[in-house]
Amino acid sequence: MSVEEMGKVSDRLLRLLALCTILFLGVLAISPIKDFRREWKQYKRSYVKYAQTRPDTKKLLADYRPDIDQIWIPGMNVVDRCTTCHQGITQASLTGAAVPQPYRAHPPVPHNVRDWGCAICHRGQGAATEVAEAHESTLAWEQPILPTRFIQSSCGTCHYANLSQTPQLTRGRELLAELNCQGCHRLRGIERPAMLGPDLTSVGTKVRREWIYKWLKEPRTIVDKDGNAVVNGYETEEEPRMPKFRLDETQLRALSAYLSVQRAHPVTSHKFDSRVVAAWSKNPELVSQGELRFKQMFCSTCHSLAVTRAGETKLIGGGIGPELTKVGSKVNPDWLAAWLRDPQGYLPHTRMSRYGWPDEDLYKVTQYITTKLTDSDLLANVPQLGAPTDQEIDLGKRLFQEKGCGSCHSIAGLNPQKDFGPDLSALGAKNASELEFGKAAIPHNLVSYIQAKLQDPLSVNPRARMPQYNWNQADLDAITTALLSMKGAPSTSALQNLVVPQKDTSFRPPGSFGEVYERYKCYTCHKFNGFGGDLAPDLTYEGSRAQRQWIVEFLKNPQTLRPTLVLRMPQFNMSDKDAATLADYMSLALQHPDANAASVDTKEFTPARAALGKQLYEVKYQCQACHTIGGTGGYVGPNLNNAGNWLTPAWIEAWLRNPQALVPDTIEPRRQFTDEEIKSLTAYLLTLRAGIKPQKSAAAHSPAPASNSAQGVGR
Amino acid sequence: MRLRRMFLVALLATLPAVHGCRKAASTSASHAPLISYDTEADWTDPQKIIPLGYQEAQGKRVFYQYCVWCHADASPAGPSNRSNLTPVPTLLNDGSVLNGRNDEYLQNMITLGGSAMGKSAMMSPYGKTLTPEEIRSVIAFTRAVAQPPYQPPARPGSQYSPK
Repeated sequence: MSVEEMGKVSDRLLRLLALCTILFLGVLAISPIKDFRREWKQYKRSYVKYAQTRPDTKKLLADYRPDIDQIWIPGMNVVDRCTTCHQGITQASLTGAAVPQPYRAHPPVPHNVRDWGCAICHRGQGAATEVAEAHESTLAWEQPILPTRFIQSSCGTCHYANLSQTPQLTRGRELLAELNCQGCHRLRGIERPAMLGPDLTSVGTKVRREWIYKWLKEPRTIVDKDGNAVVNGYETEEEPRMPKFRLDETQLRALSAYLSVQRAHPVTSHKFDSRVVAAWSKNPELVSQGELRFKQMFCSTCHSLAVTRAGETKLIGGGIGPELTKVGSKVNPDWLAAWLRDPQGYLPHTRMSRYGWPDEDLYKVTQYITTKLTDSDLLANVPQLGAPTDQEIDLGKRLFQEKGCGSCHSIAGLNPQKDFGPDLSALGAKNASELEFGKAAIPHNLVSYIQAKLQDPLSVNPRARMPQYNWNQADLDAITTALLSMKGAPSTSALQNLVVPQKDTSFRPPGSFGEVYERYKCYTCHKFNGFGGDLAPDLTYEGSRAQRQWIVEFLKNPQTLRPTLVLRMPQFNMSDKDAATLADYMSLALQHPDANAASVDTKEFTPARAALGKQLYEVKYQCQACHTIGGTGGYVGPNLNNAGNWLTPAWIEAWLRNPQALVPDTIEPRRQFTDEEIKSLTAYLLTLRAGIKPQKSAAAHSPAPASNSAQGVGR
Repeated sequence: MRLRRMFLVALLATLPAVHGCRKAASTSASHAPLISYDTEADWTDPQKIIPLGYQEAQGKRVFYQYCVWCHADASPAGPSNRSNLTPVPTLLNDGSVLNGRNDEYLQNMITLGGSAMGKSAMMSPYGKTLTPEEIRSVIAFTRAVAQPPYQPPARPGSQYSPK
């Protein structure tokens, strides 16, 4: 090769080298350019640009750093980089829909976002630095961000105790307990009660085989395609407690046969006093008198009846016990009389009280129920079933176990079934890949799965044993929220320390009080130490609040204290001894430490003070805005007509000092009364005395629909 | 031949970079879960559902516990106490009255009560019952349900701004 040739070659080579160099430099530049164009860096830069358009730029950029922001809480497995893009999250001036995301401030919540990070409540992938990876589910991360309407479930992960700020979660937990989900599933924080559905040991003495057949085929409550729930043909807002099982004709025949032969404890027909029967059996007033007594006893506090008003038929009454419009065509009359005399003899764990019925009342009411609350067409669509055969009974017994009936209903001699359905106490932490979606055309994530399964169990698994429930959207979302909150045992000790446990609420007093309390089932409606129903006032501190003599008289003859409420406390026909037992115990044991009777000197309540108190009541503080005295005043608080006989001086003083210390949820605001004002107001209230008159108009009142479903009812 | 191969290698090397550039920041709003924390039906038109954020939802809860008895035409227990009172309390959604009051005024009204603000003593002070945050949330709820709708002031209001 000559020199010239070499020169020529090197010339070509040089050009090639130059090209390679440019290419090489170009390739070298790729990495920095890629880095520069990273998604999170773009958000960082545009935040700076955005902040510069705002008047408070300096404040917005005070803690700005150009690199990744990270919240790291090692004990809780939190690695949270969300604030890398969501930079304005704690800037108060960036509130409102006008601020573009991701820079908008978080609304004020009880936990500081900068301390806790975002993923702990919103889920998603905290460590991700790309929008899609952080928010949506990927192969590597199966928990996408939680839709905001279920966000209360995250509160429930640590707050086992109910919070007032999370009504949807509380509603969901109530629904889980109310619908007996704990019969088949293990659920966190919801214990199995002594009785879920009624005990069926002697159901054959109560109802006929045909009725059982009809009930199993279509439980009383029917929901049409528009979501309107109908009980016995009447519209209602009650949740059906008995779900619908998908049973075919053979199964219906077999189960009804098996149940109709359950007669462990035969009923003995009650012999009514012959004088009562003689006096009333031919009396044309019998049924209307029975109806009157039914109303006077306030049966409608717990049971509903169809009532037609202005051409519209509606179910009116409480939802604690079953609806009774057609009960006369359902139950055996002998069973009915035995049940009314002693409900706890048939169902030991029933919520119904034992009333002290005089024979005359019992006769009138049973006659009313068996002649008036009937429907001759109730069993019209049921085929003639005849006597049950041994084959049907055997099959029925097997089906009773296979279908999971035994999870809610017990039959003496059959082993109770536990954990029939899957354990759901860690459902909220499940990944999508752990769930069975079958052929359901739904997005593969946990929320969609839970909702599809609840709405139609067969949609995700054609062989599901779970029965069919009917939900409205609000209840479906509430129950989904409650299920999402159950994420199993906390995975670290730091998380364990965060848990706010449920208060242990049980109130099973011993002795003679306990016996009377159980007989009248006071806790069906009243709360004691957080245990019991919420239909009626909380009685935890009743002994501090009410004078003993007033309690006795009230128990003997209940009347309402609240102008807006229709009286719902039944007439128990309580004996003097029972009333005294209850009042004695309450006065001694149901005491609040702040209402100290020993610190009150009744000599301080002088007429001069009472006169001053009247002025304070009427002019300075205008208490009549909410309270009634002698027929004038507001409807919000209880009437004070008889405050002097009703309330104890110690309670009035403690109440005026701080109502919320005595009853945390009470709506009466705490005022800044001076000690002298408190003494004067107490003196005035103690002068208000009215004789207790029997509530004559009670029967004329129509039963009020249960208002406990209304939100935020302060009592 | 070799040249072409080198080009290919170079091209392959640039591909990931191009791919990286394509993944530019997408519109972020589409990822935000758009469904609200809670809702309230418009009092004048029950068909219209007003979405509520966290703070407004807390205000709704406080309102239905403490305020509904006098500042609405129906209460959870049935009848309202409103018609019972003179002067008649303002309805919570009455924008024609409340839109003219700034947040600070309403905060004082609820905290200190009517008599401190030269209004009826029947409006009790809630400063010792509710936290300032709870009172703010009630005001936020008021603004959300106001009819006619509430227009926030361009700048944060103060006691010197015209009422």
